[in-house]
Amino acid sequence: MKWVFLLYRLPRDPSTPRIALWRNLRRLGVVQLADGLVALPLDARTKEQLEWLADDVIDAGGEASIWVAEAGSAAQERALAARLAEAVAAEYRTVRTAALAASALGVSARRRTLRRLRRDLRGIRARDYFPPPEAAEARRAVEALAEAMEATA
Amino acid sequence: MKWATRSGVHVDRAACAWLIRRSIDPEAEFVFVDDPAEVPRDATAFDMRGAELGHHGGDCSFETILRRYDLDDPALWDVARIVHEADLADERFDAPEAPGLDVICRGLSMVLDDPQVLVVAGDLFEGLYEHRRRALLLGREPA
Repeated sequence: MKWVFLLYRLPRDPSTPRIALWRNLRRLGVVQLADGLVALPLDARTKEQLEWLADDVIDAGGEASIWVAEAGSAAQERALAARLAEAVAAEYRTVRTAALAASALGVSARRRTLRRLRRDLRGIRARDYFPPPEAAEARRAVEALAEAMEATA
Repeated sequence: MKWATRSGVHVDRAACAWLIRRSIDPEAEFVFVDDPAEVPRDATAFDMRGAELGHHGGDCSFETILRRYDLDDPALWDVARIVHEADLADERFDAPEAPGLDVICRGLSMVLDDPQVLVVAGDLFEGLYEHRRRALLLGREPA
């Protein structure tokens, strides 16, 4: 498989473009390979999104370039995929814990939590390139919360 | 006039093409390229890296075109809210319509080629625009 890399250098000041970039990279779920080098599995969407961020960096007075790469070995590729999977797995675990804890809440707080957790799940799925087992577990916990609400309604 | 964009049309490019034909150039002719270097000399590039009509300052290309051509129809800006979230999902706006629009556009590009996507998406965005126009007029969601 192929990977898309964003290589960038952004001035330390002002901090606003750095924060915006950091937030966008987090939303896309990139894996950080080194300072100023992030990667995602290559597809039309990931390449396009990183290209826009490269332009943002350039607009903010920095330097950025986009590269398409192949891992030098299968082990290296597995390690990269594992890092991506582990990052979303941690997010799924947070959602699952919150869903389980919500069963102790009152009805309206539970409804609010359900809405928020479903939205969180959508966001995580958008950056989940190698779904870990935690994905299904989190989804089950959130849907169990929904079913419990229907039963009490 | 000729307009050029990247091949593999998705929501932002489809929305831009609809907007260009509707509000800027009814005779617009679209060409699809794989690299910015392939844009014909006589074409205006949009939703491509380095193009003036691209993403700027957190705006998607649809919003950039609205600004650049001084299109201030509130219904178009309401469509922009949805297109922005469908394209970027950065939660700048509240747009519950966006994930649905994103999926529909992705599905269209799986079964149609780029010129066909623009035809179908043209009706899609015309309908979306009309819905938002009536919602703004009525001050509530139209039936």
